[in-house]
Amino acid sequence: MREDGSSPHRGGHDEERTTPSTPDADRDGTDGTEPDARFTLANERTFLAWSRTALALVVAGLGVAQLLPPFPGVPWGRSVIATPLILLGAAVSVLSYFEWMANQRSLRHGAPLVRSRLPRILAVTVAVIALLSAAVDLYSRVSRS
Amino acid sequence: MTGEGESSKASPVGDIEELDPGLARQRTDLAWTRSAISFAALGIVVLKIRPVVGAPVLIFSAVIWSVGRFVRTPERADRADLRVLLVTVAVTVLALTALVLTLLGHNSPGLRL
Repeated sequence: MREDGSSPHRGGHDEERTTPSTPDADRDGTDGTEPDARFTLANERTFLAWSRTALALVVAGLGVAQLLPPFPGVPWGRSVIATPLILLGAAVSVLSYFEWMANQRSLRHGAPLVRSRLPRILAVTVAVIALLSAAVDLYSRVSRS
Repeated sequence: MTGEGESSKASPVGDIEELDPGLARQRTDLAWTRSAISFAALGIVVLKIRPVVGAPVLIFSAVIWSVGRFVRTPERADRADLRVLLVTVAVTVLALTALVLTLLGHNSPGLRL
């Protein structure tokens, strides 16, 4: 983010605080130094954005299961589409928490941020669910005619 | 910002984030508000269909809104970070509830539009 390599603490709006590094502190993510507040805030915003994505996936799943008219001839069709959407929502929610924690730890140690796995997981799973939906719809139309 | 000579040339006053770090906090406050609104919108819709599930979701949107007002300082970082866990647990519990509703209820007629 900063290419001049200067300390992120020069903003002056954030108190630098060093706590002794103990195994306990490492588990809590409280060792290292408190990073620039802006980095912490950006990490929090990213987490919230992923959480809203997770919520949207759950809502999409609920919408398919509750609001969509049933597929003719395919009574399990809606569940087959809705279940992976909801499971993906749960997975995105939990994984975004772990990524937030890993990023927070990296920031405290001045270590490089780990590349997020979430975009790939989201893209691949949504694509698979889209193909699945197309297959269910096609099967319903073919079996009816 | 020696690495970003171009942008400081374009803007003689310098990086606006350096001038006003409060903008980052404001963006984060807005993100919390957006998250609370997302929960509220879902809660209101579910309230009409299934009040038993909708009411807790609506209550939880108020909880998210109020913890979003919490100002994170280094001294209170631990408590501030608990909010993140709270949101994760809420979305996950909601997902599991949705999963149970989906697997149990096969007979919803759906909306006729």
